[in-house]
Amino acid sequence: MITQQGQILESLLSGNFICRVNQEESFRYLKEPNNASKVEAQLNLLNRTLSTAAEGEVFFASYLTLGENERKVLEKQFKETTTNLIPLVEWLVLVQESTGSDSPLVQGSPIRLNELQSTIEDVPALSEQLAKISTYALFNSTSKTTDGQLKQVFKRLTELGYLVKPNPEKLIYIATGKVDYLYEVIRFIDDTEALSLTEQAESAMQQGSLL
Amino acid sequence: MNTHITQAGTKLLRALSRHSEIIMEAYIEGSIDEGKHSPQVLDNLQSLGLVWRPDAESDLRLRRVVRSFLEEGLSDERNRQVDANIGSALAKVRTLVAHYKEASNKHRFAEADSHLSDLTELTYGMIDSLKQGVRTLWSRIHKEFGYVASLDAKIRENQLAQSQVTDLLNQLEMFEFDKLAIDAGSNRDLRRLLIVTLQSNFSLVAKELSLVQARLIELLGRFREFQGRTQLLKGFQLHIEHNPSYTPANYTSHSRVPELFNQADNIIQPASVDINSPSLENDLALLVGKLKAVQHLKQFTRPELPQPVVVEEAEQVTLAEDEIKNAVEAYFCQIIDSGKRLSALDYYQANKLEYDTEVWLYQVIGGFEGLPEADKAYFEIEKSLKDHPIYSGNKIIEDVELWFS
Repeated sequence: MITQQGQILESLLSGNFICRVNQEESFRYLKEPNNASKVEAQLNLLNRTLSTAAEGEVFFASYLTLGENERKVLEKQFKETTTNLIPLVEWLVLVQESTGSDSPLVQGSPIRLNELQSTIEDVPALSEQLAKISTYALFNSTSKTTDGQLKQVFKRLTELGYLVKPNPEKLIYIATGKVDYLYEVIRFIDDTEALSLTEQAESAMQQGSLL
Repeated sequence: MNTHITQAGTKLLRALSRHSEIIMEAYIEGSIDEGKHSPQVLDNLQSLGLVWRPDAESDLRLRRVVRSFLEEGLSDERNRQVDANIGSALAKVRTLVAHYKEASNKHRFAEADSHLSDLTELTYGMIDSLKQGVRTLWSRIHKEFGYVASLDAKIRENQLAQSQVTDLLNQLEMFEFDKLAIDAGSNRDLRRLLIVTLQSNFSLVAKELSLVQARLIELLGRFREFQGRTQLLKGFQLHIEHNPSYTPANYTSHSRVPELFNQADNIIQPASVDINSPSLENDLALLVGKLKAVQHLKQFTRPELPQPVVVEEAEQVTLAEDEIKNAVEAYFCQIIDSGKRLSALDYYQANKLEYDTEVWLYQVIGGFEGLPEADKAYFEIEKSLKDHPIYSGNKIIEDVELWFS
């Protein structure tokens, strides 16, 4: 049998994010500084180190030192991240608007696919939005129906590790810590490039309320 | 007098139960639709002080006491009022204490008893209203202000609750236990009421309130975090709409890559199966068994679908014998050219052919038999036969001779 530590190593070296939603046991194991240092030592052999993001809510493996090859990998990954950013953000906004709860999707938020689907089908603006989102290369759906588009989008998001489906028989998905990571990426870009996204949103909302 | 009060109270409660539908309608709708009920009933309710008319043009509404009684009983979340009027209650307590002490000193014990019971009621009432305030705060926290939809409204509700906590805490500050202690003096009943009961409840409420405050601040923080994230998403979307060509700077080309974007590549591939490992034999056999089962199922669950038949020219089958056939043809041609009798084996040796002699002979005979009848007539064939050494009746063809006739 594989040990907890082995499981964690395998997961980290496969490029997965570990959070309390997708691998609760492993997450708690890594929260112990002693255990973390054991994993760290093993990762170091492979020029990797244990990193956390989103205020310690996710763990992942990063490079210890960066050579030519590592930089190439990171560059490729970064390009992927940034191209995926727009579809992901649009999807997050869509889910938030469809659930009507006004609170954003965060780690641990459940999404009931059936409820989401009926809301989206009832509101033409939302179905248009979904149709647009589902054709992005990230999701790559060719379906014409809301049902098919939603299923494809959710399938891809589960593959990418943004969602987990705890019970295979139920259409309930739970957001993982990778969603929190996503917010941090946007916040980082916002801070570094001084885009003042929050102010833009606020002024737009005020204009909206004035109209 | 007691019987009178009891009678009046019973009458009031009966009226409440008899007209419960009207009262609940007023509670839920806010006002009574006067067209639906008889004026007599409404007059009666008005005279009992259960409903009132705020001004001449407005509809009949429930009196505040009835409404708060229902809110309390139903633990309705609409009840968000926190009664924090401790100041006046405390003033009343001290007045009653003075009354009681005066009556006691003048030995008017019946009057003193009545004052004491009023005081007890007032003290308990004060404690109850404080606790009630804390309870409603908690119930709102537990529901996370779920009764309002938008995040902004939740934040406003949270701020209201926080101001109520502050009010309650301010009111609690008005308790001056040293003064109450002096007032109570050495009187046992007063000390029990004002010092023991009030103080223990006071500390309980104060403790609860500090917990409430902490939770409220935590919740507010979460709401603000949510709000921040929503704005971040919306802002990003707007930014992309305004600058469609926008792409973030390439942080990975910086000399120090931010940790956020330093994600190691995956290096683990699924392991392969070792079919020579005896310990895995069982598992592998199971896997193979499953594979079969799946195929089996597939055949059953998927009936043969009709498939369009595409009629196309069959691919030319190229045979390896082409070469040998050509050789046979060349052999025939030579017979025609020379007009002489020629043994197949002689031709074989003369031309240094590379096939098996048996194959060659077989092919020559086959070639002859395969000729159209008209062509066949031009040739004569003679097989040099030999009896099989063991099995009589079987002949072995040793050579074939052909000639042009």
